[in-house]
Amino acid sequence: MTIDILRQRGRSLVRRPGFALKLTALGIVSVLVVFPLLKILAFTVSDEAFGTWHEVLFSRLSYNLFWGPLQNTMLLGFAAAAGCVMIGGFLAWLVAMTDIPFRRTIGLMATLPFMIPSFATALAWGSLFRNSRVGGHVGFIEGLGFAVPDWLAWGMTPTLVVLIAHYYSLAFSVIVAALATVNSDLVEAAQLAGARRRRILTGIVLPVVFPAVVAAASLTFASAVSNFAVPALLGLPVRMQTLATRLFGMIGIGQTARGYVLALLLILVSAVFLWLGNQMISGRRSYATVTGKGGRSKRFQLGAAKYPLFAIAFGICIVTTLVPVVILFASSLAPSSSALFSDWNLHYWIGRSDAAIAQGQPGIWHNPNTLSATAITVGLGVAVALTTTAVGLLVAFVLARHREGLISAIINQITLIPLLVPGIAFGAAYIALFGAGFGPFPALYGTFVLLVIAATAYLLPFSVQTGRAVIQQVSGDLDESARLTGAGALRRLAAIIMPLAARGLANGALIVFVKIIRDLSLVVLLFTPAMPLLSVLAYRYASEGFPQFANAITVVVLVISIAATLLANRLQSKSQPWLKD
Amino acid sequence: MKYVFWGGLALVSAVFLPQLATAEPDIDRMSVEELLPLAQNEGRVTVYSFTSRIARVEKEFEKTYPGVDLIPSDMSSTEQIARLKTEAAAGISNADVVYLSDTPVVLTELLEKGLIQNYVPPRVEDRMPNEFKVPLLAPRLSTKVLMYSKEAYPDGSPIKNLWQLTAKEWKGRVVMVDPLQRGDYLDLMTEFVLRSDEMAKAYQTQFGKPIELDEGVDSVGAQFIVDLFENDVVIVGSSDDVSAAIGRKGQKAPPVGFTTYSDMRDNEREGWALQVANDVEPSNGIIFPAVLAITTKTAHPAAARLAIDFLMGDDSKNGGPSYAPFYVPGDYAARTDIESHPDAVPLKDLVSWRVDPAATAKLRQSIGDLILLLQ
Repeated sequence: MTIDILRQRGRSLVRRPGFALKLTALGIVSVLVVFPLLKILAFTVSDEAFGTWHEVLFSRLSYNLFWGPLQNTMLLGFAAAAGCVMIGGFLAWLVAMTDIPFRRTIGLMATLPFMIPSFATALAWGSLFRNSRVGGHVGFIEGLGFAVPDWLAWGMTPTLVVLIAHYYSLAFSVIVAALATVNSDLVEAAQLAGARRRRILTGIVLPVVFPAVVAAASLTFASAVSNFAVPALLGLPVRMQTLATRLFGMIGIGQTARGYVLALLLILVSAVFLWLGNQMISGRRSYATVTGKGGRSKRFQLGAAKYPLFAIAFGICIVTTLVPVVILFASSLAPSSSALFSDWNLHYWIGRSDAAIAQGQPGIWHNPNTLSATAITVGLGVAVALTTTAVGLLVAFVLARHREGLISAIINQITLIPLLVPGIAFGAAYIALFGAGFGPFPALYGTFVLLVIAATAYLLPFSVQTGRAVIQQVSGDLDESARLTGAGALRRLAAIIMPLAARGLANGALIVFVKIIRDLSLVVLLFTPAMPLLSVLAYRYASEGFPQFANAITVVVLVISIAATLLANRLQSKSQPWLKD
Repeated sequence: MKYVFWGGLALVSAVFLPQLATAEPDIDRMSVEELLPLAQNEGRVTVYSFTSRIARVEKEFEKTYPGVDLIPSDMSSTEQIARLKTEAAAGISNADVVYLSDTPVVLTELLEKGLIQNYVPPRVEDRMPNEFKVPLLAPRLSTKVLMYSKEAYPDGSPIKNLWQLTAKEWKGRVVMVDPLQRGDYLDLMTEFVLRSDEMAKAYQTQFGKPIELDEGVDSVGAQFIVDLFENDVVIVGSSDDVSAAIGRKGQKAPPVGFTTYSDMRDNEREGWALQVANDVEPSNGIIFPAVLAITTKTAHPAAARLAIDFLMGDDSKNGGPSYAPFYVPGDYAARTDIESHPDAVPLKDLVSWRVDPAATAKLRQSIGDLILLLQ
């Protein structure tokens, strides 16, 4: 009898609308996200890796393997989150709430640093501040005759500064969007009641944007702890290890089991803190801040502070966007980074192989590696933009239209997991799973397909979020009517949602494109010489002691990403309420 | 007459038939002229190389053999080994030729497991001592030895005994590459341990008393490594960086360090003053073979053999243009007919220890863990 009931339930479950679609979505996200992680977990507890967990956590080696790097990682995470929220929040407040001049320009520039690859900023730092501790070329400042102390050239300080300069724009974007929703009725009411500016800020604005501030802090924390390029370029010369660099080192020398354990621990760290952040704001989500009324007629009058504040904001923007770009460009032309603006020549760009320069490395234009890397990188960006858009839309559609039920809840949770998984750990998991083939999948190591799949999985949270946003724009009524006329799910997606949401989708796809072509941490392990990518080539040149080539390649990446970003901004300009007057 | 004919035929068959039976000619025995058209048909050859000088070889190779594209990939031996293993697990082979050191690992992890195969070009086999033909072809010997700046120390090396490096005077002034990232340096560390007896004697000479080991340290060599790290040894990314740190002119008190002897070749171009410290107790470091091999699953077997033949140098006394990047002071050709570079210490006078791959392979992991512990 119980079996009958179960059967009936089973049948009704299967007959429920969208069941097949749900299962498809579940299958996709499982293969993309869950399997790779389970695979490395399984490997670390297999016989082959016996004792590795103990070795990493509780042996005489564990301080250097895990606890020491963990301390550095946590310090970087907290300090970077604090710095990013302060700078990003400050700029967001200026742009969204005040009458600062050139708001549009500042608003645009504050979003750019995130589009500049973090390794580019790190390389630029090196070109400026490198000192002679590790020999080779010294930086521009030592070239001018000033001694650069070790703490400014290497290790914690430069790593932190570069991380903040890179990720503050993430905090800016999150906070500015929240500030834009602050109901001006509230502010006006307070002003009428005679509240002072400080009181309005602490009494109304801060409570309303508090969830956004916490979200910005946990996002920048998670990004900073998983960043690989910056500590690798600026920290390793003084033996400063983070979990990401230690993980890369272990896998690089073939100690895979230790590497996988570190990857899992890194995921755990990042997950714990994102979860804590989420707990802090979860009770407060019910603020109704968007009422449909109330424009943004009133802005804070900055008065005498207007121009000093503008100078500070503009300075921050210039130092984090234009300066690194100019330094990189100059150092791709100068034979020595100690004299950035002299003896410029184009050898590193278009020179032929010359035994007297850089061991006979030809300029990047004549290097078949760079040319194929450019093609592959752009190809990867386009392919991933397409796949993520498709997967994101499908999953978001399933979640939006068939919200109820266990499967939907599971899908929802799984799509969030990659947020917690640092790119480098993801790369490690993908090699483990697809390195030798499993189930119906052939061995994909070294193939373009593997890069596409890994990147699609890595960006799943982002693409699902984009998908949700565009689906919410399209009224459920349209979808409902189409369903009543008998249109299937895919038909509705293709005929109604896609056309109506094309602009939002294109914008999301462009951002995915930029995220992928400038990414290093995800691809640094997946890279093979037969499948070169620009960011990895730049990193390798930099670590082999050929900074000019690294910088020239980085300039290429920059030009492509900035062009795509500006295009995305054009598409998006209609949906940036904080820029409206 | 008839008998002679049949007898002759029998004789001819006996001699030639076995080869006819194999039908395919043995590619390992082919001359360069025979390999070239096959290689041009294959079109390309990918070389994983531990030396950045491969970029210069590429240029010469493509000039000499148009139609065969040599694609170099400059990566450390350690990384090559990790990659070859991953590629093998995935059933693919991106590289055709590998040029690397780290022989202790190469022999056990790559050759014995069938990932790479030996190839000795017939053109040079009569000019190669047996130890450099078996088990793998070794075109030359490379080094990781103690070097100093002859500008700052015109009277010769400031280091006469390795134990000086652990003294206060040299705190923070000894440079090397992370032994966990570069196998050559791990081999160097391992050699200190293998030579513990010599290290103990040198300690006695330097400090006038027998060495006492710290608790938990089980050999004199390990004690040396511990002391070196406690003396704030500077770890950098590549041996080029070590050479620059030591050699750059105009430094008042430049560091010393372990690097590749042949980096001396860049003295003039880079403005360095590198010189090898050869008058050192008990030794100045290690000398070890660099090996060339073909991947077992190569898709370009003829081009791979052509590239290896090319990398061995032409028949002139200095190996000609294809060997020019390696005909430099501090590199020692394995070919008996290539003379040592006149500016270098002759091989027989170099005090460096010769690495024993088998003995090193046994100790390597535990020395690696020791380094991990010290970092």
